[in-house]
Amino acid sequence: MLNMDGSKPIYVQIAEWIETEIIDGTLSPDDKVYSQYQLAELFTINPATAGKGLTLLLEAEVVYKRRGLGMFVASDARDKLFAKRKEETLRRLIRELLNEAALLGVDDSHLLSMIEAERARIKGE
Amino acid sequence: MTVIEFNDVTKTYGRRTVLDKMNFSIRQGVLTGIIGRNGVGKSTLMKIAVGHIQATSGDVRVFSVNPFNSLKVSANSILVDDAMSFSDKLTLKDILQEAGRFYPNWDGPLAQRLFDYFGFHSNARQVDLSKGKKSTFNAIIGLASHCPVTIFDEPTTGMDTVARKDFYRALLKDYIAHPRTILVSSHHLEEVEDLLEDILLIHNKTALFHGPATDLQEMFVNLIGKEEKISTFIADREIISSQINGSYSEILVKNTFTSDEKSHLHTQGIQLVPVSADDAYVALTTGKKGGIDHVFNGTTAD
Repeated sequence: MLNMDGSKPIYVQIAEWIETEIIDGTLSPDDKVYSQYQLAELFTINPATAGKGLTLLLEAEVVYKRRGLGMFVASDARDKLFAKRKEETLRRLIRELLNEAALLGVDDSHLLSMIEAERARIKGE
Repeated sequence: MTVIEFNDVTKTYGRRTVLDKMNFSIRQGVLTGIIGRNGVGKSTLMKIAVGHIQATSGDVRVFSVNPFNSLKVSANSILVDDAMSFSDKLTLKDILQEAGRFYPNWDGPLAQRLFDYFGFHSNARQVDLSKGKKSTFNAIIGLASHCPVTIFDEPTTGMDTVARKDFYRALLKDYIAHPRTILVSSHHLEEVEDLLEDILLIHNKTALFHGPATDLQEMFVNLIGKEEKISTFIADREIISSQINGSYSEILVKNTFTSDEKSHLHTQGIQLVPVSADDAYVALTTGKKGGIDHVFNGTTAD
């Protein structure tokens, strides 16, 4: 759920939480998205803050608004989010990985073999 | 629409000035936190707003009228604080009944459900309640009154952790179901910041900040990274506080970085960590003091 340790503003976390619901298929295209009041209750936050999270998604055109009915998932929302997460989240994690590897003197081939080993371990679980 | 308005409001007690030419206005339906350190005048401000006391000078408007001696304000507002007491001739059940007669929007079923949930006994009297239980009982009255202006002054005093969490959750749910203008004061900002739409920060007898809680949360940023790398970025910035842990520094500065500067910081391995409203509040009210570490290093801050 939300990580309330303040590492990201709450409304950004709200937007990301809905994004994850879209990426993992809990929410499909044209499904109704939680209202700001439902989100406020769910996470015990002010409805205005929840509304800011929804506004982020609206501006990114991940959701669209139907007057009087609320927000709905855009048809290309998943593609957009995949592209965004690859560009932002995955790249950031790779950069962190490379920084850590450089610090420890782990070269590329060693790093790749560690990735392969980890993948095998996940499959074995 | 503005519901509460303070224009150049000053309040003095004898020679001591508590509020000095304070200006702010509260929009209808906004849940606002009144935040400040002990003794900055939060309670005084709240008592003036509901007309319990009179400002020394300046203009106060609540529902467009002066709240002092106003029946209109009295019938449409409630102030819940630890001075809220009821006759010891009345049982708790009697008090709920009387409150139902006085407040036109009284939600009797909600009051009864909260009363039962928190384990009160109908025949108990308010004077016999523990500090925390008294706060809880008063808070139930504040919630169930559904007053257009509802003010809670340190509502969770004496409540245990569970009761505090329950109260804030009840406050939020009731606010969503029945939107109205609510003020809540607290010196524990971290406990209420997620509930608030706006924050009114009182410091040095005046309103130091008034705006969305999220603005306060984004006002500052903590830079964390190697000291020698950070120093090039902060050369011409005001450092609010700094903490050095080994070769890593944590530097608190105003969050005015452009997105280009931010990505540059990232490539240099410097983390930008958002600051909670509570930490921003501490930064705003303590100013440039260098942090607690400087006290131990024996250096003096200016």
